[in-house]
Amino acid sequence: MPSTSDFLMLSATLFTVGLIGVILRRNMITVLMCIELMLNAVNINLVTFSHMLGSLEGQIFTIFVITVAAGEAAVGLAIIIQLYRLKSSINVDDARNLNG
Amino acid sequence: MGFYDSGFPILSVITYLPLAGALLMLFINKENTGAIKTFATIVAAVDFVLSVPLWFYFDRKAAGLAMFQFRETASWIPSLGVKYSFGIDGIALLLILLTTMMGLIAVYSSYTAIDHRQKEYYILLLLLQTGMIGVFCALDFFLFYVFWEVMLVPMYFLIGIWGGQRRLYAAIKFFLYTLAGSVVMLLSILALYFFNSSGIPFLNIKGLGNAPSFDVLQFHQIGHLISPQLQFWIFLGFFLGFAIKVPMFPFHTWLPDAHVEAPTAGSVILAAVLLKMGTYGFVRFALPILPDGTRQLMIPIVTLSIIGIIYGALVSLVQKDMKKLVAYSSVSHLGFVMLGMFALNPMGLRGSVLQMINHGISTGALFLLVGIVYEQRHTRLISEYGGLAKQMPMYATLFLIAALSSMGLPALNGFIGEFTILLGVANANIWWAVFAAVGIVLGAAYLLWLYQRVFWGPLDNPANKVLKDVNKRELLTLLPLVACMIWIGIAPAPFFEMIEQPVDYIVQKVDPGYFKRQPVTYPSEAAERAAAVSSALAAIQAEVHR
Amino acid sequence: MTWADTLLLLPELIAATGASILLIVPVLGGRARGHMAKWAMLALMAVTALAVIGSTYAVAGVQQTPTFRAMFAVDAFSVFFKLLFVVVIALVTLLSEDFLSEERYSTWEYYSLLAFALCGMMFMASGVSLITIYIGLELLALSSYILAGYYKNHEESTEAAMKYFILGTVSSAILLYGISLIYGVCGSMRLSTIAAALSTMLSNDALMFGIMLLAAGLCFKIAAVPFHVWTPDVYVGAPTPISAFLSTGSKAAAFAVFARVFYVAFPAFHLDWSNVLAAIAALSMIVGNLAAITQTNVKRMLAYSSISHAGYSLLGIIAMNEMGLRGILIYTMVYVFANLGIWATILMLRRHAYAGESVEDFRGLHKRAPFAAFSMVVFLLSLGGIPPTAGFIGKYFLFAAAVQAGFGWLAIVAVVMSAVSMFYYLRLVVAMYLEEGSGAETIYSPSLRFVTALSLTVTLVVGFIPELPIRQVIESSSHLVGRVVQR
Repeated sequence: MPSTSDFLMLSATLFTVGLIGVILRRNMITVLMCIELMLNAVNINLVTFSHMLGSLEGQIFTIFVITVAAGEAAVGLAIIIQLYRLKSSINVDDARNLNG
Repeated sequence: MGFYDSGFPILSVITYLPLAGALLMLFINKENTGAIKTFATIVAAVDFVLSVPLWFYFDRKAAGLAMFQFRETASWIPSLGVKYSFGIDGIALLLILLTTMMGLIAVYSSYTAIDHRQKEYYILLLLLQTGMIGVFCALDFFLFYVFWEVMLVPMYFLIGIWGGQRRLYAAIKFFLYTLAGSVVMLLSILALYFFNSSGIPFLNIKGLGNAPSFDVLQFHQIGHLISPQLQFWIFLGFFLGFAIKVPMFPFHTWLPDAHVEAPTAGSVILAAVLLKMGTYGFVRFALPILPDGTRQLMIPIVTLSIIGIIYGALVSLVQKDMKKLVAYSSVSHLGFVMLGMFALNPMGLRGSVLQMINHGISTGALFLLVGIVYEQRHTRLISEYGGLAKQMPMYATLFLIAALSSMGLPALNGFIGEFTILLGVANANIWWAVFAAVGIVLGAAYLLWLYQRVFWGPLDNPANKVLKDVNKRELLTLLPLVACMIWIGIAPAPFFEMIEQPVDYIVQKVDPGYFKRQPVTYPSEAAERAAAVSSALAAIQAEVHR
Repeated sequence: MTWADTLLLLPELIAATGASILLIVPVLGGRARGHMAKWAMLALMAVTALAVIGSTYAVAGVQQTPTFRAMFAVDAFSVFFKLLFVVVIALVTLLSEDFLSEERYSTWEYYSLLAFALCGMMFMASGVSLITIYIGLELLALSSYILAGYYKNHEESTEAAMKYFILGTVSSAILLYGISLIYGVCGSMRLSTIAAALSTMLSNDALMFGIMLLAAGLCFKIAAVPFHVWTPDVYVGAPTPISAFLSTGSKAAAFAVFARVFYVAFPAFHLDWSNVLAAIAALSMIVGNLAAITQTNVKRMLAYSSISHAGYSLLGIIAMNEMGLRGILIYTMVYVFANLGIWATILMLRRHAYAGESVEDFRGLHKRAPFAAFSMVVFLLSLGGIPPTAGFIGKYFLFAAAVQAGFGWLAIVAVVMSAVSMFYYLRLVVAMYLEEGSGAETIYSPSLRFVTALSLTVTLVVGFIPELPIRQVIESSSHLVGRVVQR
């Protein structure tokens, strides 16, 4: 039976992997997936704490987060399609019109 | 005129009349420049006329807090403890009279010098006047700060729109320098505010628990309770704000730029009034509120003042541009004012305050005079001129009087101020007086040399042969100043009488034991003048021989 | 959830319903009547505002269920911000009119998204549980991502949307992770329960980490250094009215959350987090102002200026005293109006997509549009904190709060940087008044004129007679400060 801290470690690892992915990967789809990974890492955290504390709040929040993540994915994909229509590329580095 | 002593808000009227005039001017068609000029002049003139009776209704003998007269108090932002509080003592009164007079002269002298965007020009000039008078009237720190900053904006535009070649640079430099100083001053004001009320628990500074207030006079009462260490820091904040405005030696670099680029009227106002705000700030706020801070920083400030005196004079000597020369002479003269002030005795302070007025009159006149030839020749280079005394005798005479007044010739105002300062300074430390005297000699040197190069010698530049002498309007702007120079030079007693109580009050605050150690013995005016005349004559002789 | 609770939710419900209706209209054949969208939107704003005011009267009378109370508060603080938001969205609606008609983008969806954003912002202002706050934040963010990319056919706009989206979602993930840690340590999402738990707790790493991550997420939303990199690009790329919205409404909402979360939940660990935030604030002020000096694009300059203003506002949170909270409220209000006024002027010059954004376009504006130029000066002075404009009153509160809290060094940084900021604000003044030239053509529509006039009025009235707004702010914030003082 894995302990609470094991779950937290798993969550932290997933979150870090996701964050590193966002920073390193250039493909927009992959970036989007990494963001989803981060959100799900948070979900694991929330469910773990909810179980540990015996409070339902965390699990309720998880459902909200999943819903929001779906919305984010939809908006993200829409932006990716838009970008592809204009540039025929979904590489983050190809978006260089704004120099900042 | 019964309302001057009947609680009528006369100070507010004097302060906001120019503002009201500026707002009304918005409705005048901008093509109708004649009406604009006339209207602006009328507003400035009425303002001046209204301010004159203050001189007569002011009670010179009132001492202590009662010397702040024509008080007006109303609530403004009660939740912060900010009051709308006006009131003047003798020092502020003289400066207000100077402001309204200079304001009128500035408006009247701009008739031909300003040829584009005239409506905006006069509106800004009037707005500036409201800001300046407000600064001298305000007895609430918050209100004071508002006026102090409000003034920046019109002056910025005056330099930036109607200035010379490098006007943008000069305007921004002026604005940013002054702003940088004043925001630091704001922190000092806040520290005082919290000391008076709730304290700053984090720094273990216990407040006095009074109701939150920005009342300057209340701060005068509680200032000495602040620990010397905190006083040092608060004073430093004030010092930055005021010293930049004065400007004292290392902070003076904005001044030559601003003066040279500003239009004539702008320079006049800048020299006559704006610089006085810095020195006024010291005597009204920094000294009486923070006695320990004052004494801790006395030596550095005196040193900077002496450096300023000598440096300003030396740099003036090598200037090729007349306006720049006068500008640097201001650095030197204001060094005198600061030196006299930080002698921290009644004599020095009296001279210092009087010298503020003198400098306003003399330097204002010099800038006006430089403006007169500049308007005709569009150059201020000394080398372009020469022999003007033949071409413009009237002009040469007026210039001579202004220059002599500025260098401190007896029977003119500058002498009285400088001499009194020297007396006070010598009382504090004889060596400071020696340095100051060197400054006086140098002052005579650069002004006389300037005069020699511009007015004497052959009239060999053909462009100068068509120069017209001062016209009636220009004469009208200059004569009142000349009259004031002579009046203060011959009969300074009413002026000294006006500032005696405030000065004693300040000395009492800064150095509570002073009057116990040294019972007040002012030399009688006659003896003072006699001694002064003889020593100054000796100085002049020495210079002539040189 | 009872009817009584619903009554308190009425403003949000109206905004959400209105947004949904606006979304459906084009499907029902309303696309042709695009010009009516503006009026529908303004009517919606008016009704929402009435509902907000109504909810303050309702709150005294109704019996709320405990669960509802734990999630959502109708208090003076939230009402202050909600009214501000409604006004901002209404003004942004007015700003958008020309842009929409010029570019022929569908108007109904645009306003619908704005209304959804408003709904999210109102939830942020009212949220007393991290759940509510997060949902509100995401609703606002998702609407903003789409709005930032509303110029469908411009690469810049799409890029802006992409950057905003990636960084925004990452930051909300970070914020969420922080929330999860705080939840784990304190056992609740409710702010007051968190505060109660913290008051009996010693500092611990997991909690500090959680607070820091939460702060980082919020710092992204307010565009504080080092979480500011998206700001200039998004402001430049997004449609100008949306840049106006992002720099005012969206930021104000983030500040409402920032203030409520930190003042209610975390006063117990003030000493631990205040220094970190102080560093962030100092960096924001320094980097924002120094970077703004070199910009020639006005939108980019405003972006950096908005970064620096985030730094000033943070002073109010760092100070953690009455003055500070009041400062945040009043400064947010003052900043919002000054900024909207400036954006209105930019929009006036901005014709044909991205033209008219460089400082040169402002040259000689005083001749072509004297009123706009004059107002612009007042707005810039207000941003610079020069009295007698409203900006001075706002900055006064923040600086005073910092001094009172003993953050003297931070106050010095703040005042020096606000003097530096005048340097680039004056550049626009110089262009408008001191330089002659034709600049960009101006089309000053009545809507823009109205926005300018309203912003000008607020900026001057707050500057000259600050007593009334200050009193309002004190009333709106005292119940949150009460907890701090008890500490």
